[in-house]
Amino acid sequence: MRNWVIGIAAPVLLLVAWWFLSANSTDPFFPPLETIIVRFRELWLFEHFQSDVLLSLGNLFLGFAIAAIAGIALGFATALVAPVRWMMDPLIHFLRGIPPVALVPIFISLIGFGTQMRVTSIALAALFPTMIATVDGIRSVSSDLMDVAKVYRLTRKERVLDVLLPAATPQIFSGLQVSLQVAFIVMIASEMLGSSQGIGAMTLLAQQSFMTADMWAGILLLGVIGFLVNILFSLLRRKVLSWYIGSRRLARAS
Amino acid sequence: MKASVRPYAFSVVGVACALAIWQVLAEAKIAGNALPPATTVFSTLATILGTGTFWSSLGATIGIALLALALAAVAGVAIGLLVGSFESVKYATLAVLEFLKPVPPIVILPLAVLVLGPTAEMSLFLVVFGCLLPIVMQTVDGVQGTDPVARDTARSYGMGEGEILARVVLPSAMPYIGTAMRVAAPAALVVTVVAGLLGGGPGLGQNIYQAQAAGDYASLYGLVIVLGVLGLLFQGVTRLAERRVLHWHESYREAVPR
Repeated sequence: MRNWVIGIAAPVLLLVAWWFLSANSTDPFFPPLETIIVRFRELWLFEHFQSDVLLSLGNLFLGFAIAAIAGIALGFATALVAPVRWMMDPLIHFLRGIPPVALVPIFISLIGFGTQMRVTSIALAALFPTMIATVDGIRSVSSDLMDVAKVYRLTRKERVLDVLLPAATPQIFSGLQVSLQVAFIVMIASEMLGSSQGIGAMTLLAQQSFMTADMWAGILLLGVIGFLVNILFSLLRRKVLSWYIGSRRLARAS
Repeated sequence: MKASVRPYAFSVVGVACALAIWQVLAEAKIAGNALPPATTVFSTLATILGTGTFWSSLGATIGIALLALALAAVAGVAIGLLVGSFESVKYATLAVLEFLKPVPPIVILPLAVLVLGPTAEMSLFLVVFGCLLPIVMQTVDGVQGTDPVARDTARSYGMGEGEILARVVLPSAMPYIGTAMRVAAPAALVVTVVAGLLGGGPGLGQNIYQAQAAGDYASLYGLVIVLGVLGLLFQGVTRLAERRVLHWHESYREAVPR
């Protein structure tokens, strides 16, 4: 009980301290929290909501969805067909070594500055974590499970969809979580590198024109989005993987 | 013997195919000048490797990443031990840590550039910010995962709190910290590049930005290839270091040959 009081009181105190310490601030870098919140409301609720916030989020989800589907599909192809795996392995590892954001300039030069470039950058950068996790997930499925599937004479399709896919799902979800983080980072980066629309672009523009309160409002919004997207994903994971989380809990309790 | 050679043969074929496809697409000018042929990129890369500016950029990138990683490790383990050892501190920081954890350093990049300017300090700050939280969280998990029996044993042998922390809690948290470092090291490199690319900090990220802005596509591709190799090196070296440092732990111990 006491712990929960501390847990709720500490962040509230922190915000209150920020509010009062910055109240009469004339420091151009750290404007009063009140000014930031006023600018936050003016900017994002709802003047630029449709033109920038929805645009950014749309790119994020579209890119992530493409990456998720393609990553899982490619992961299955790579894991199940050995020659494909041998051919792809060095390429995948090399591409994975490149910082995802460093690919953005290449896509800008290839596709230009439009929405297409941003979605492509997000999708390609977010592809690898899911793909690699899928390959690992399938390869770590126990051979007993596959033997049983064979004894029961399951068809290849049944073996893939009813045995391999569920068994690899926990690992696939860890990959998807990393992909989501990468997608979020690349979303911001693709907007910051030469684009005039989107939350990232507006935040960087505000910084370059010394509109500090606007910049803080953008940082706040990005922080909240990063946090909320992560929570949504955790909820989804808990729903899809409820059987797995439950079985893990049972295994630990016994 | 034959079976063990086959995967490598396929790997070579795969890489050769990728390079050939790249060369053909570039020669066909499907993207105009924006996609230079592989041969041009590699010859440009060879020229770049001969310049002093490249090596000083590379040094700046690696230096910033490693220094920030060391700072984040020291601070992260210290904070993690503190948060993990006291229930009240843990609950007081829980909400803040959980909120900041999914927030990548690129979010506060505009603020860092505003206050510190396009400098090495700015890059350093962003990398520390990005690497600190994962290390803190893992250290907390490690501290709380300490075997209570080992802790009680140490206490009944008359060890003081400080000694228990140094000789029981910290070693048992080491595998967790090792995992955090293995994840943090490549991330440190990535954030250093991002800080250079978007914030103008020194290093290869800045060179990539300049190459793109100047339309020097061959250099752009060459530098990205360098980054890919560097990323692989970082991953490989940290994995090796983790093994060396934690060779005593059971999950790393090699079976004794009989």
